[in-house]
Amino acid sequence: MLKHGSAQVLAAAVFMAIAAPASAQETIKIGVTQPLTGAFAASGNYVTQGAKIAEDEINKAGGVLGKKLQLVVEDNKSNPTEAVSTAEKLITKDKVPVMLGAWSSTLTLAVMPKLEEHGVPMLVETSSSGKITTSGNPFIFRISPTSEMEARAFEPLVKQLGIKKADFLATNNDFGLGASQEFTKMLKAAGVTIGATELMDPKAVDFSAQLAKIKASGGDTVFVTTAVEQITLILRQAKEQQLTARIITTGGSNSPDQLIQQAGSAADESFHLVFFTPWFPEAVKNPALAVSFVKEWNARGYQAGGLTEGFRGWDGITTIVEAIKAAGKAEPAAIQKALWDVKVKGINGDIAFIKQGPAGKESAQNVPSVYLIKIANGKVTRM
Amino acid sequence: MVPPGVRPGGSDTIHTHGAKTRLDQFLQHCLNALMLGGTYALLGIGLTLIFGIMRVVNFTHGELYAFGAYCMYALVVPVGMNFFLALLLAMVLGALLGAVIEMLLLGRLRGADIDTTMLVMIGAWIAMQNTEQLIWSGVALTVPNPFPSAPLVVGPLSVSWLRIFVLFTAVGLIFAAYTVVNRTKLGKAMRATFQDRDTAALMGVRIDRMHTATFALGSGLAAASGALLGPVFVVNPTMGDLAAAKAFAIVILGGLGNIAGATIGGFILAFAEELGAGYVSSGYRDAMGFVLIIIILLVKPTGLFAQRERIG
Amino acid sequence: MMKYFPQAFLGLLVSVPFWLTDSYMLHILITTGIFIIAAMSLNLLLGYTGQLSLGHVAFFGIGAYGSALTSLGFEITLPGGIPLGVSPKPVWFAMLVGIVAAGFTGWAIGKLAFRVRGAYFVIVSISFAEVVRLVAVNWVELTQGPMALNNIPVLRLGWGSAEVAFLRKPAFYWLVLAVGTVCYIIISRLVSSRAGRAMIALRENEPLAMSVGVDVTRYLVLATIVSAAMAGSAGALYTHYIRIVDPDIFLFVYTVTMVIMVVTGGKGTLAGPIVGGVIFGLIPELLRTMAIKPEVQWIIYGVVMVLVVYFLPMGIVPALRNWRGGQQASSTAAASGPQMEGAGK
Repeated sequence: MLKHGSAQVLAAAVFMAIAAPASAQETIKIGVTQPLTGAFAASGNYVTQGAKIAEDEINKAGGVLGKKLQLVVEDNKSNPTEAVSTAEKLITKDKVPVMLGAWSSTLTLAVMPKLEEHGVPMLVETSSSGKITTSGNPFIFRISPTSEMEARAFEPLVKQLGIKKADFLATNNDFGLGASQEFTKMLKAAGVTIGATELMDPKAVDFSAQLAKIKASGGDTVFVTTAVEQITLILRQAKEQQLTARIITTGGSNSPDQLIQQAGSAADESFHLVFFTPWFPEAVKNPALAVSFVKEWNARGYQAGGLTEGFRGWDGITTIVEAIKAAGKAEPAAIQKALWDVKVKGINGDIAFIKQGPAGKESAQNVPSVYLIKIANGKVTRM
Repeated sequence: MVPPGVRPGGSDTIHTHGAKTRLDQFLQHCLNALMLGGTYALLGIGLTLIFGIMRVVNFTHGELYAFGAYCMYALVVPVGMNFFLALLLAMVLGALLGAVIEMLLLGRLRGADIDTTMLVMIGAWIAMQNTEQLIWSGVALTVPNPFPSAPLVVGPLSVSWLRIFVLFTAVGLIFAAYTVVNRTKLGKAMRATFQDRDTAALMGVRIDRMHTATFALGSGLAAASGALLGPVFVVNPTMGDLAAAKAFAIVILGGLGNIAGATIGGFILAFAEELGAGYVSSGYRDAMGFVLIIIILLVKPTGLFAQRERIG
Repeated sequence: MMKYFPQAFLGLLVSVPFWLTDSYMLHILITTGIFIIAAMSLNLLLGYTGQLSLGHVAFFGIGAYGSALTSLGFEITLPGGIPLGVSPKPVWFAMLVGIVAAGFTGWAIGKLAFRVRGAYFVIVSISFAEVVRLVAVNWVELTQGPMALNNIPVLRLGWGSAEVAFLRKPAFYWLVLAVGTVCYIIISRLVSSRAGRAMIALRENEPLAMSVGVDVTRYLVLATIVSAAMAGSAGALYTHYIRIVDPDIFLFVYTVTMVIMVVTGGKGTLAGPIVGGVIFGLIPELLRTMAIKPEVQWIIYGVVMVLVVYFLPMGIVPALRNWRGGQQASSTAAASGPQMEGAGK
């Protein structure tokens, strides 16, 4: 079946695959595992785009330790088995000394045993499950907030907004369940009554039943935790069903720009917890960084709605590079040690790690900034 | 672990409200189910035609649905075409794509067994879905519609105008499909082809054309449902997977190859999901269809409304 | 010469960790091997009894969850307030529990599902896997739902200083190879036994098989039990290798992977799933090494699938056999090809 020529091409490809040159130390590599295809493709691509901006900026400024920085990006296909394979490939084949990944909590949890097996640190940029930093894996360095941190950051706002009774609508995975559990705990402690807790499949598109139930429950606030596509639909369908309760979305994957564009007037009067505020970069701790990142993002023609995901990649790579510089060499153990002491100015805020998890095997957790914004008249406004 | 106090899907508030609120909630659930049922029925009939008549497990059904939705987006947003004209064109393009798939991929596999054709369709499904992602990227898109954004309010109930339009169009399309298959010469030839190929050929039916026509009709209906539902929901590359899963459930509920059955199956699934989520647990909302299928197949293996024995 | 081919091939496989120094390739071989075991088990149903089970991943997942939960221990409250607790058990025992749990599910499903055939059976099997997935998602108390069971222990065998921990890749590779070999032997014995001939008979012509007194349901259920238990063993291996299990293990794409391996390799042949498994286990890796966009990699994967079915509709192994048969006896080549399975059903 194969023609002679194509057989030769195939043979050459196989040969190249096997004899891939372990290129000499002219570059310093960072492994990136993100969902570029499958269910989380949109978000994974945004994070990767943000990471690439950081790579280009660092190389333009002369690289790291006199060498060129090179990101080795692998697609984990939104699938845990593939996530493990990408980690194995990045570590054993590309010999990366440090990694960035792996977007969702399940994907990150899947990669974790591999980090321990090979002793390679990984910077976690998005995952929110508490389990990641509490299960005793000393190679985990997380810059994104856990659901618990987000709930705690929200606490002062409970009184300010006058929340008396709250309902929940959460996607049925670690992200949604974790958030609804932590916010429930926090709200109960603050004396708020909890009404209905409704779940939805991460792929579902019709939430009419859940919304009807929440409407009947009669709370003044609904906490919604899921990705931006479902939030768009929830806002629209809530309006169709004349749900009057205030909607607050958590988790930071809510991209207000995309909501304004796609949900239109249904997005008005909704509140969103975000980790980056590109609309008023001056509000964040390091405004100059935020302004230049937004500028570069737009200059490259990337989707504006992706900014609130993309900054994670930038912050992640920047933090890793600081650690490599501090370590003075691109070796896993040295980078792991150096990461503990880095103090980085990131887009989200100042990045530094605290210890979490069982003594002796602590994971590292950053305490990120959380911002509440409101959409009004088709514009993002500060709270 | 779930801390005490969080009962997923549970609610301790319903008791504190009066019977009025409970009745309102029930009526809203029923109204929602009616709206959803129409869309489900439309999803189901395209698949039931191909699956039931041709015996092809059409894994591209979901992608044809997504194709319809993307056509709608491309025609309405960049091209700026009229919404209703775009709807019509999306349906035609879907049917054409279906015809191409049939001639290109299934044409040489006539008479092959069900798993051989299924494998080809799985390959096509993977290739099509990733082509969509390559062209449009994974970002969800919204199709604007000409209907008022304020819902229609009747007492305590409300429903969007767009969904009313979708329901009526769906019912219209279902009637049209039913008429084509059961009342026209073309439909007769289609059914004859797949019931007794040789006799049909002897009677002068052009077998090849019938295969292509049936697949194109089913594909056109799938694209139509995507074009109708794209504006209701959002358009993204994996939207077809969920649609295909629902369509399979509906088809089996109604019995293979039975348009009336698939229509009723669509409404049953919608009511089961809506009331199941409302009164049992929203976490199991998407399990309702599958549980129903298993129960029905154990009690009446041919589906609820099968006209003929089609086992084996 | 071909008589000793399986033994020689096995010898080659045993030697792999001695000369393959690339740890990533070994990892790919291990995960591919696990899916080949699952594909072999599917072949028993799909290839030998002719039943297209598209819910096979349910058995794989039940084996994985059964083994993970037994090795981690769990405490749940059954309806009616009855507490049920299991303390952590050794991994080898947990794996057996996973296999038995999968086999038992196979028995129950076999009893129920074989009341229908053909397309209906396809749908029942998909529905079954989907229901099992949703139970795994929603029964948080037992499975931790989407939060996943992690820190799953590694298999250890032996005592004291003679203990072997299957943490290193070569050890795990040989374990997968051993389980695979046992499954291969069981299947080859089974299909050449009386029961196996009955299965094949009812694949070829069910009414005829029934008329000569073959107890159809009994043999189908037997095949399902064996097949489910083997899929369960693959799941148990998977869970103690990847060391995390979450409801994504029930994803339809895994079933698709198994079906592709069986059908392209050649269903109803002993070597088919192995050949198909090696090809479709390695293609994604080959594509990964070429610098092309991930979406394009998937598109190529889909197109290759279509082409394989197109040019080798019976699968690779029967095609090779035909070709060899044709070379040896070119005069009678045309008559020696096996019938296309299930054609005209």
